[in-house]
Amino acid sequence: MTAPARLGSLVFSREEVQKRVREVGEQISRDYEGRRPLLIVILRGAVYFAVDLSRTLSIPFDIDFMALSPFKPGLQRVEIEKDVDTPLLGRDLLIVEDIVDTGLTLNFLVRSLEKRFPRSIKVCSFLNCPGRRIAEVDIHYFCFEIPDIYVVGYGLDFRGDFRNLPEVYTLYDPTGRDTQILKKMGKGGKK
Amino acid sequence: MGNFSVVTISREVESLGDEIALKLSKRLGLTVIDREGWVSFLEKEKPGFPVEPPLEEDKQREWMVVARELLREKAEKQAFILLGRGGQRILEGLDSAFHLLVVAPVKMRLQRIMEKYHQDEVTASRILAEQDLQRERFLLRHFGIDWKNPLYYHLTLNTGAYQVEEACHLVIEAMKKATGKAPLLPAKQASLFEEKNFLKETVVFSHPSEEEFARILDFYNIRWLYEPRTFPLAWDSEGNVIEAFAPDFYLPDFDLFIELTTQRQKLTWKKNKKVRRLKELYPEVKIKIIYARDYQHIVRKFGGTK
Repeated sequence: MTAPARLGSLVFSREEVQKRVREVGEQISRDYEGRRPLLIVILRGAVYFAVDLSRTLSIPFDIDFMALSPFKPGLQRVEIEKDVDTPLLGRDLLIVEDIVDTGLTLNFLVRSLEKRFPRSIKVCSFLNCPGRRIAEVDIHYFCFEIPDIYVVGYGLDFRGDFRNLPEVYTLYDPTGRDTQILKKMGKGGKK
Repeated sequence: MGNFSVVTISREVESLGDEIALKLSKRLGLTVIDREGWVSFLEKEKPGFPVEPPLEEDKQREWMVVARELLREKAEKQAFILLGRGGQRILEGLDSAFHLLVVAPVKMRLQRIMEKYHQDEVTASRILAEQDLQRERFLLRHFGIDWKNPLYYHLTLNTGAYQVEEACHLVIEAMKKATGKAPLLPAKQASLFEEKNFLKETVVFSHPSEEEFARILDFYNIRWLYEPRTFPLAWDSEGNVIEAFAPDFYLPDFDLFIELTTQRQKLTWKKNKKVRRLKELYPEVKIKIIYARDYQHIVRKFGGTK
């Protein structure tokens, strides 16, 4: 049996998270003034972020959800497990993600949505990890940029755990590598 | 020219491929379609059709089918030579097309560049490396091929061993003796005219992690080529390559090379050194090393409960 995962250091506190989400929400409200964007929330991780973000928006908007099949041996191609119910023709789409790292999922998603002739597609991610990027994608809004560390909380999980934490933590790393990286960021408090 | 009505000529920079095309055209009484000729041909036959295949996979496939049909129709009326333009790819598998690759030793090509541009050897080396790279990238991105693979061609001619006149003679003899069947495609490349990408399954990976990474790319419908290019990194005083580096993957859609390593980060200094050298010599090349830790993260993420 695998030992339960332990939390490591605090990366972003609840206050920091809420402050940045509010700022990003205000920026989106300004950018979309006079329009009614459709927020497409990618299940499951982005739900927590999307709920908080949507509460900060001062513009009218619609919300819908999508889920993609995870990679597993035997499955040849990624599939849309849950599609949006809203027609996308001529709409301003705002994809809401929890984290963009390799960009593989998002790249696929954007290519799929482009085929439905929306007016525009923008991406809003809670976290952006450009150091791990493989596929090029434009991230129009993000709350925090993080280095190459594995984080959990605020929707991000490890084997299904820790999603509900209102803060963001690293996983416990016995090598101390993540702690060193966090120190350079001026972070690294304990839970 | 036997049963052939088209000769496609692919050539290395300064390998005398253009001179062979010209000489062959005179000997066989054929017109040569080079870049300019291709533009005029398209303007006449299909105005507004892009000169080069688009980068998007589905549009690229459509482009290739149309271009192939246009050239096939032309060949039925009048035989011709197609110089460059991805001819070996557009007309791959067509029995009436003869595919020729012209190469030459680096030293000879360098000498020609030095004379042509009045440059010293160091500058000429840089010019040659850049032009080679441009050609390679163009064919990878727009046609999705490793164009130096000899399996695309009926004949590969080294002009380090033959004069232009002799080379033309050999081409004509080879055309007479060819079986009339198109060459079998290289195993690493799937034909654009095949529905299934089945040939990719025959790629032999050096490490299981590479195979798994390829599956992840396939899963997200990202096109890749395995070790399509070897970058020379060091030469001896006679111009022979003594150190080279072949990154594991090339992703044409992002113009990005990827090197995977499953060694611990402390042990990757040799690879890091090679990548640093590659960036110095080929600054326009985009390359990313995926270290063991990044790789584990990718596998954990894509095998996890997103």
